[in-house]
Amino acid sequence: MRPRRLLGIATILVLLGAWEISARAHPNVYVTPPSQIAVTFVHEWFSPQFAHDAVPSLARLAAGFALATLFGVTLGIAIGVWDPLYRTLDPILQVLRALPPTAVIPVGILLLGIGDSMKIAVIAFGAVWPILVNSVDGARSVTEDRLDTARNFGLSRFETVVSVTFPSALPQIFAGLRIGLALAFIMIIISEMVGSSNGLGYAILSAQRTFSIPEMYAGIALLAILGYGLNALFSLVEARVLAWHHGASAVTR
Amino acid sequence: MTPQDIDARDVVLQVSGLQKRYRQGHLAIERLSFDVRRGEFVTFVGPSGAGKTTLLKTICGLLEPTAGRVLLDGRLVTAPPPEMVLVFQDYARSLFPWLTVAANVSFPLRKKRLAAGEKTVLVDEALTAVGLAAFAGHYPWQLSGGMQQRVAIARAVAFRSEILLLDEPFASVDALTRADLEDLTLRLRAEFGITMLLVTHDIDEAVYLSDRVFVLSPPPARVVREIAVALPQPREQVRTRSDPTFLALRKQVHELIGKLSDPVTDVAEPAITNERTHAR
Repeated sequence: MRPRRLLGIATILVLLGAWEISARAHPNVYVTPPSQIAVTFVHEWFSPQFAHDAVPSLARLAAGFALATLFGVTLGIAIGVWDPLYRTLDPILQVLRALPPTAVIPVGILLLGIGDSMKIAVIAFGAVWPILVNSVDGARSVTEDRLDTARNFGLSRFETVVSVTFPSALPQIFAGLRIGLALAFIMIIISEMVGSSNGLGYAILSAQRTFSIPEMYAGIALLAILGYGLNALFSLVEARVLAWHHGASAVTR
Repeated sequence: MTPQDIDARDVVLQVSGLQKRYRQGHLAIERLSFDVRRGEFVTFVGPSGAGKTTLLKTICGLLEPTAGRVLLDGRLVTAPPPEMVLVFQDYARSLFPWLTVAANVSFPLRKKRLAAGEKTVLVDEALTAVGLAAFAGHYPWQLSGGMQQRVAIARAVAFRSEILLLDEPFASVDALTRADLEDLTLRLRAEFGITMLLVTHDIDEAVYLSDRVFVLSPPPARVVREIAVALPQPREQVRTRSDPTFLALRKQVHELIGKLSDPVTDVAEPAITNERTHAR
C-alpha cells in the first residue's frame, strides 16, 4: 500500500484507539468501546439481519436513484436543448431544488403511505435535483463548434442530441449524479426512520429506542462502510465512462 | 486534379450578392459575389474581424444569408449540403474527445447508409491520405495540434466532401506543422479533386496555396481585389516562396491590406467605417 494512504489509515486507528481507551477509562452505557461495537457488528450483520434490514435499504436506494437518474437526465437534456422548455421550467426548478428534500417526506407518507413506494419516491425526489440541474447546464454548454459540426454533416436534431449533446454533457451529468447519490443515501435513512418496519434507518432508530446501544453503533458503522463502498463504486464507474474526459483535461491542464 | 484540369466554365459554387447582417444589426458581409470552379483553390484574405468565419458559415448553409444566395452546382443552398464540409480553426472543439480518431472520422458516415466494410475502407483511406493510419485507435487529445487538424481534414475526406471550407485551419499550430498541413491540403486537392476555400489572415499562405486570392475589406467584408496567382504547380515551400512572382504577389496583397487598414478605417466607430465604404 502507498505510504500516502498509510498516514490516513493511521489517523483512523489512532482515533479509534483514543475512543477505546477513554470509553474503558470512564465507562458509560451510551458510549460503547469500538472493540465491542466490532463484536456486535459481526454478530448483528453477518446474520439474516443483513437481508432483513440492509438489503431492503439498498434496494430502495437503487430504485430511487435509478428513477432520479432516468428522469433527471432525460428531462434535463430536453430542457437544456429546447429553450421554450427551459424558460417555462427553470424558475420552478430553482425553487424546488432549494427546498430541503426531507420536507417532502410528510407529503409522501400522506399520499403513498409508509411502504416502499413512498421511500423510493422521496429518495428519487431528493436525488433528482442536482442530476436535473447539471444535465440542463451540461446540455446548454455544448460548444457551438460541436453543434455546427453535427449540422454540417447533416445530423438531425435528435441524432445531435443523442450523439453530440449527451456525451458532451456527461462530465457535468456525473458531477450531478455524485451529489444525487449522497442525497439519496441521506433520504433512505431518514425515510426509514420516519416510517418503516425494516431497513437500516429503522434498525438504528429502534436499537436506540430499546437501549441496544452497541447495536445502534454497529448500524451506524455499517452505514459508514456502505456509504464509502457506494462512493468508491461510483468513482469506478465514472473513471471508466469519463476516461476520455479525464484524459483530455489532463492534457489541456 | 491539377489546376490545368480546371475548366473555367465548370463553376461549382456561385455566390451572388451575399449579405449577412447579425440580429444585433452588425453587418458582417456586404454584397459579396464570386464564382468558384471545380477543383480550384481559392483564398479569402483580409484583416482579422473581417467576417471571414461568417462568410464560410454562410456559404455552407450553417448561417442564413440576409440577402443574396449561394448556388452549389446550380442548386440553392438553404441547409448544409453534404458536398461541403467546414474545417474549424479550433480542431479541439470540433473533434469529439469521447471518440477515437477512427470513430471521429467515421462519425459523419452514419448518414451515408454504407455497409460496415465500406465505411472501414473510407476511414482507412482518409487516415492514410493524411498520414495518420497508425493513430486510428488513439483519442484526438492524445495527438498534437497539427495531427488533430489532420483528423478533422480526414473526416471531411472520408465523407467524400467535394468542397472543403477551411477556416484559418492552421492558425494555432507551429510554423513547421503549418507548412506540412499546407502541403497536405495541396496534395488532397490533387489526389481527390477537392475544391478548397480557405480564409486566412496570413498573406504568404494565401499566395502560396491559391489559384486565386480574394482580398477582403475590413468589416463589413467586400471583395476589394481578385488576384490570379500565376505560380507554377506543384507548389513547393522553398522554391515557390522564393519565386519572384510569389514575392511580387505577396507585396501587392500586403500593400492592398495595408491601405485598407489605415488608421481611419481602424477606428472602432461603425459610422465612420460605413461612410468610408459608401465614399469608395
